[in-house]
Amino acid sequence: MSWDDAIEEIKQRRALAKQQGGEAAVASHHEKGRLTIRERVDRLLDHNSFDEIGEGAGVPDYDADGKLKDFQPANFILGFGKINGRDVIVGGEDFTVKGGSPNPAGLRKSVYAEQVALQYKLPLIRLHEGGGGSVGGTSQEKNRRPLGEPVFATSRFVPLAQTLGAVPVATAALGPVAGLPAARLVASHFSVMTENAAVLIAGPQVVKRALGHEMTKEELGGPQVHLRSGAIDNLASDEDDAMAQIARFLSYLPDNAWAFAPDKTPDDTIERCEDALASIVPTNRRQPFQMRKIIELVVDREGEASSFFEMSRKYGPSLITGLARLNGRSVAVIGNDCMYYAGAMTAEAAQKLRRFIDFCNSFHLPVLSFVDEPGFMIGPDSEMAGTIRHGTAAISAVLQSRVPWACVQVLKAFGVAAQAHFGPDAYVLSWPSAASGALPVEGGVAVAFAREIAAADDPAARQKELEDMLAASQSPFPRAEGLSVHEIIDPRETRPKLIAWLERANAAYRRQPATPFMATMRP
Amino acid sequence: MRVDVKSEIAGQVWKIAATPGDKLAGDDVIMILESMKMEIPIVAPKAGTLVDLHVAEQDMVAEGQTIATLETD
Repeated sequence: MSWDDAIEEIKQRRALAKQQGGEAAVASHHEKGRLTIRERVDRLLDHNSFDEIGEGAGVPDYDADGKLKDFQPANFILGFGKINGRDVIVGGEDFTVKGGSPNPAGLRKSVYAEQVALQYKLPLIRLHEGGGGSVGGTSQEKNRRPLGEPVFATSRFVPLAQTLGAVPVATAALGPVAGLPAARLVASHFSVMTENAAVLIAGPQVVKRALGHEMTKEELGGPQVHLRSGAIDNLASDEDDAMAQIARFLSYLPDNAWAFAPDKTPDDTIERCEDALASIVPTNRRQPFQMRKIIELVVDREGEASSFFEMSRKYGPSLITGLARLNGRSVAVIGNDCMYYAGAMTAEAAQKLRRFIDFCNSFHLPVLSFVDEPGFMIGPDSEMAGTIRHGTAAISAVLQSRVPWACVQVLKAFGVAAQAHFGPDAYVLSWPSAASGALPVEGGVAVAFAREIAAADDPAARQKELEDMLAASQSPFPRAEGLSVHEIIDPRETRPKLIAWLERANAAYRRQPATPFMATMRP
Repeated sequence: MRVDVKSEIAGQVWKIAATPGDKLAGDDVIMILESMKMEIPIVAPKAGTLVDLHVAEQDMVAEGQTIATLETD
């Protein structure tokens, strides 16, 4: 008796599993403008690099003679692969089988993804689509009463949380993502959603029944909600763009927290001094400017494009966060966007900053901080949002940093919030446009000199006189004189100065072994 | 196609820079808000004709408020 029949059945099961939900289900999925999980994995990874885990997982269907008739695959695909030659792990729900709501084998594979990532210490990519638990349960038999998980079993959320300190995790929402998959979607360092995706705790029918709201999936959880809520970082124009953004994000990072980011050969010169930097900050303080332009003039150019990759633009928009390269080395970038409340730190911007700095520390990314901070956002809405607490937590995160920091004070550095832009032992460069103090002139004078102004013959003139005097006191020159900043520079010198610093700072930092980042409780 | 132009910030309308009927290019300034002592422009998201302005100078504007309507090309 040979094993040929069994071997033949292995091949048969593998082939059947790759049919996913069957031709009709796949066609219907395509009609909605979405790719299947196998197509997505194929487009994400380098050609033919997918090495699947658990190819045989699923539920067989036998005919009356006990022969294999059909095979419902586990509706979560998982495996190893390569992106631009680097090893990664990728997984995702198969929406064509039960709308992605897990069958038993699918559930096991889905919770296994994080364990594989932790074991092999490789970046983890999850491509999400589908609902989570169903009232009907995962069992194929409708009458069964579920026994539940063993009381001693380890929660799937343990490895899910652990991965964030161990390996880069990038996720995408490529259709409706609800329940447990939504929780897994946001347990990442970088998440992206397509225009037609929705991210939901619960869908329209559950919401209507509990709260009475009649809203579509898109109204509840589309990009117009979650790019602003901060649950999702970036918007993708289509599925290919989602994959491209994930690949780009990973290119700045090491494989895990025990390694440093790989360096690229720079496609740009160290000495590039852009004339535009000398005039980009208006002398009229009421006029805004584009901080992103400054960032792009300083960091590496890669061909026609900038190496700057922005993340979470629409969340806490007064703060810019992203990744870039300087002389081929990965760096993290933060900067104030004065187009939003003069760049004031809101509760959201503070939370965005805290999370981003923890991410930088986890993967050994030096921070470049372009400073134009007027202070925490003021007013009743900001108070109600608890900005003071979120801001203080952000400052704590910044000052618990272990990575090298360089700060370029472009314009304002005022108030307590200014502390959130200068990490420990930072290299501090000041532009001639820099202005520092406890309060911006406009607010401070009216308060500090209220009596003197009221008593003057021409209060408005006296206020202006005092404001001009105080503006002079915020000049950066005395700070250079007193070594409160390292250098006051011609803005055009920013790039070569930062590169000289980065080479030294990286060399020093990399002498210590790379280890995961731990932090204690914060405000 | 009718597009509502919304303000992304709260502020006060300082200067209206376009009139209904004007043909605008993408990024052309429709109005300038004063917010936190700065003059922040609100621009046309795409090229089109300005159909309507929903606020006047000195009006207070809330974050997310529709301030103009554009008929895009």
